[in-house]
Amino acid sequence: MQFSTEHKTDYTEVAGNGRLNMVAAPKLREVVQEAVSAGYKRIVVNLAETSFMDSSGLGALIGCLKLARQAGGDLRIACVQPQVLMVLELTSMNRVLTPHPTAEEAFSHD
Amino acid sequence: MTALPEQRRALVIEDDPDIRSLLVQILTMQGFEVTEAGTAREGLAAARFGADLITLDLNLPDGDGVDVCREVRTYSDAHILMITARTDEIERLTGLETGADDYISKPFSPRELVARINSLFRRQRSRAAQDEANADEQRRASTVQHSLLPIGTPRVDNYDLAGRFRPSRSVGGDFYDWYSTANGLHLTVADAMGKGMGAALIAATVRAVMRSASEQPSLPDAFANAARALEVDLEKAASFVTLFHGRLDTATDVLEYVDAGHGLALKVSANGTCTRLGSGGPPLGAWTDGQWSTGSVRLDPGDYLAVISDGLLDIYETVEAFTDAMTSVIQASSTPDDACQRLLDLADDPAISDDVTVVILKHLAAGRP
Repeated sequence: MQFSTEHKTDYTEVAGNGRLNMVAAPKLREVVQEAVSAGYKRIVVNLAETSFMDSSGLGALIGCLKLARQAGGDLRIACVQPQVLMVLELTSMNRVLTPHPTAEEAFSHD
Repeated sequence: MTALPEQRRALVIEDDPDIRSLLVQILTMQGFEVTEAGTAREGLAAARFGADLITLDLNLPDGDGVDVCREVRTYSDAHILMITARTDEIERLTGLETGADDYISKPFSPRELVARINSLFRRQRSRAAQDEANADEQRRASTVQHSLLPIGTPRVDNYDLAGRFRPSRSVGGDFYDWYSTANGLHLTVADAMGKGMGAALIAATVRAVMRSASEQPSLPDAFANAARALEVDLEKAASFVTLFHGRLDTATDVLEYVDAGHGLALKVSANGTCTRLGSGGPPLGAWTDGQWSTGSVRLDPGDYLAVISDGLLDIYETVEAFTDAMTSVIQASSTPDDACQRLLDLADDPAISDDVTVVILKHLAAGRP
């Protein structure tokens, strides 16, 4: 899984394509850690191209969310695909990681 | 892994048909039984069936060979020989943690390829002693983990109970536990994040903490205390656990439960309707100010309660498809033990790479022993 980072006007978008699993999870943590350390604390993870997420992938998202909040920012998710949505709902983590329809909308109501 | 197996198996993952057939030819001549794959997807599926050697093209039409390699490494210890189109790629690749054992660039001569493969298998022999020690440790860990599962089933009047656990590796992050109490029965099914030894250590800790909470008469209090005790450890380990914990009172046939992010507990009624109990809060350790609601469900004669780990969910597109499939299997089975076995048989799918756990409780119909 490859991740790309793009700095927008008021948030940083991280996008990954493929399966967010035990292999990809450390990469996501690394990419978000890098952005947050560089001062980009408002992160949107665009999951449009993420077809699958397992518990390790969810663990990475939670870890990244904690990281962003500890730095005084936030992490939000957008364009969530069915299997990923299923995992979020089953685990009740959709209450903390609320899916947003698009990356632009994730921070637009703040 | 001490001696070479009689028939060595090779998997060729290569999209170019000419190179593929060349590789197949060379490997067959070397005594391998060869399987071919033209795409990353096919290759990942074929690798699950086991191979001693995998030749992997770096540029596949549907994926990057490096990703394929890392993914295969999560479930296979095959020798992986990565094939690249450019010599300068090799330098970049050796700097990455790809999981490959060696690299070769195109075009290669059959002699060069055979030499590389022989060298991989020679290295294997020198590693064999170390592997044997590791394998021994894994076996012992697996024995310990199985010894932490309940032995036999407690006698609970009018109820029958069964459970199964199948780790994806020698040990796993799932566990189930049960014990009879003065009023009936307590049961727990949990799934620690990830797989393998790390997840197994977390699972053992969770089991111990849940057991120590069993004396507390109030389920919400017992659960909240256990959650507090575990949160610190889980936070440090950057892990979390989904958990279902239920307490059955046989006087009322009501099961009181807490579901922490598990979400896959089902009540299958005697008439075939299925109710998913749903989670009442986040997984343990996932979120610090987690709040969990307590639910209750009545089990009438003929009703089943099934708690299943998400390993089995992976072969279904939706939760609805999953619950439908589970319901029909449970309905077709004669006893909880039979149902567990049938559900575990479903898990014999190469698409499942996670631990699988199933616990089934049945309220026996009146008049049955």
